Amino acid sequence: MNGSEALNQPALAAASSFRQALTVFVWWGGRSLGPPPPERQTSSRTMIGYLRYLGQRFIILLVTIFISITVVFVVPRLVPGDPLGAIFLNMASVGGSMGATQLVEEYRQLFGLDQPLWQQYLNFLGQLVRGNLGYSIDSFPSHVTTLLWHALPWTIGLLTITTLISWVLGSIIGAVVGWRGRESRFFQGLVPVALLLYTTPYYILALILVFVFAFHWPIFPISGAYSAGLAPSFSQEFILDMLHHATLPALSIILVSLGWWFLSMRSLIKTLKGEDYIMNAEAMGLKEGRILWGYAFRNALLPQATGLAISMGHIVGGALITEVIFAYPGIGWLIFNAIKSLDFPVIQGSVLIIIVAVASANFLIDVAYPLIDPRIRHGAGGRA
Amino acid sequence: MAAISASEIVESEASAPQQPGFGGILLRNRKFVIGVAILLIFIILGAGGELFVGSGQRASGSFQPRLAPGPGGLLGTDSLGRSVAIQMSEAIPNSLQVGLIAATLGTTLGAIVGFVSGYFGRSVDSVLRVLIDIFLSVPSLLFLILIASLFKGVGVQAMALIIGIFAWAWPARQVRAQVLSLKERGFVQIARLSGMSGLEIIFRELMPHMLPWLGANFVNAFIAAVLAESGLSILGLGPQREMTLGMMIYWSLNYSAFLQNLWWWWLTPVLTLIALFLALYLIHIGFDEVTNPRLRTEG
Repeated sequence: MNGSEALNQPALAAASSFRQALTVFVWWGGRSLGPPPPERQTSSRTMIGYLRYLGQRFIILLVTIFISITVVFVVPRLVPGDPLGAIFLNMASVGGSMGATQLVEEYRQLFGLDQPLWQQYLNFLGQLVRGNLGYSIDSFPSHVTTLLWHALPWTIGLLTITTLISWVLGSIIGAVVGWRGRESRFFQGLVPVALLLYTTPYYILALILVFVFAFHWPIFPISGAYSAGLAPSFSQEFILDMLHHATLPALSIILVSLGWWFLSMRSLIKTLKGEDYIMNAEAMGLKEGRILWGYAFRNALLPQATGLAISMGHIVGGALITEVIFAYPGIGWLIFNAIKSLDFPVIQGSVLIIIVAVASANFLIDVAYPLIDPRIRHGAGGRA
Repeated sequence: MAAISASEIVESEASAPQQPGFGGILLRNRKFVIGVAILLIFIILGAGGELFVGSGQRASGSFQPRLAPGPGGLLGTDSLGRSVAIQMSEAIPNSLQVGLIAATLGTTLGAIVGFVSGYFGRSVDSVLRVLIDIFLSVPSLLFLILIASLFKGVGVQAMALIIGIFAWAWPARQVRAQVLSLKERGFVQIARLSGMSGLEIIFRELMPHMLPWLGANFVNAFIAAVLAESGLSILGLGPQREMTLGMMIYWSLNYSAFLQNLWWWWLTPVLTLIALFLALYLIHIGFDEVTNPRLRTEG
């Protein structure tokens, strides 16, 4: 209430830098990039500190979105000649499609290419605000937004489920191995396996899985999200077919991220093992399982949960290349086909949507983190 | 006080011959040495291939297509009649080149931004910090997709430059954090009091402390760049007329090597990439353990 929720400003900064470290890690397919920067001395501030922090994060969100919109606007105009040059070129190379001139006319109007550059930019912003990302060239007259709405559920569905599964599995196995790693050869052997898994790019693993389980032993389908003859519905047959198709793409993502969750949980538990309260619990004669799951694991869950939240933020960006390998109809497959047919509006729209989604998710995590982590609020009698 | 510090100096000088320098510790680190060894093997194989292969043997149709690997055709041939081994001899140096150029560019840019932001502080720092934050939170692969799809058919070097331009944010952040803590130390204060200029302090006082950090960052950037290259190539945005590890996978997928059961065509670059990443990762861990002695405890 009245200033009783004291906030720890440097801890907030540390939280956001941790988030960024993981962001970089998640994006580059699971590589940690160096140790986190050292934490600085602590000092406490009041609620104002949190509000100022929120404001700062919100400005960063706005600037991020603004910069990405600008990049998406500017980059096509850096190419020598008309921004439609690439589109013309493409049409010539595919032998000129029906209504090409009409389409170019449409684009001239949409982008207002006869107007000065600043006017074009304002128009572009105006269209974006109305949710208009333009038309697809390859599947004209579909709107880019329509294509994105068809692709996004596949990507989000696949990535949400795989992220959750690998997080739960990795955390549990990591906790057990971190706790009793010294006692068993098998547990120790898991560490280099996890290391190998998480240094492997997820799409490389996907290739190997396709070969082994779709080609050599044809247990799972090679590509697609459902069998050609079926129409998407909520029937049992369709859902089973969908799961059958999703198994391999899911497995490739789960295995790679499992390595990371495993390693991070293991090292967390190993550090916690030396803590006073754990030794105290041991001295009190508590059962080992109770100490591990009731004391150590629960304390290690918080950083793990932050990591989970960050991966969730990246779900829309997803595993673009895995989708390409499995011809899985998500946003990665959409981008891949757009690249193939030089469908620039679709590439532009997808890139923009992903950036905005990732930036917004990051913002939400930054907002929620101080509320989740009790160590960041330390005021007498402070409430949530 | 003076006596203690003098004796410390004497002590440290006396023990100097036994203590290995930075390079010595690095060479004693098993992970680092194994990583470097694997990397060297790749470089030698790649360079050797470049020397011995005539340009006539590169074109499609130089060999009988779809040959399985064996004593005759080393690693087999693809469905267009190109030798997989010869493709590899071109792909490995090219992929390493992408890593080298992009990592150099990214680390250099990052170091400059980090030093400027950390050392000069104030309004420069707050602007640069926001920029660093933004480039860290936006997945740069997306900007790469956007740019590469417009400049279709870029060469290996151009691609490396594009990747490198987006690789500066992480080193910048690291360097900035280090500079912030270093610049309040005694030796920097003394340098400032004795009239050294800002640039002089950066290069003569701070830089030597930062080199190991920059080294570890460089390896990271290298990994990320090779990863970005293969990712972009598989998406169809790679150098179409040149061969890289990513492009080999792209072509093998494009000509459905799976369905033709030409496993050697796609498996060779795939295994090479895995080994390469493992080698670079070991080098990175080795670097980390040397620069950060607290990590050394685990075997």
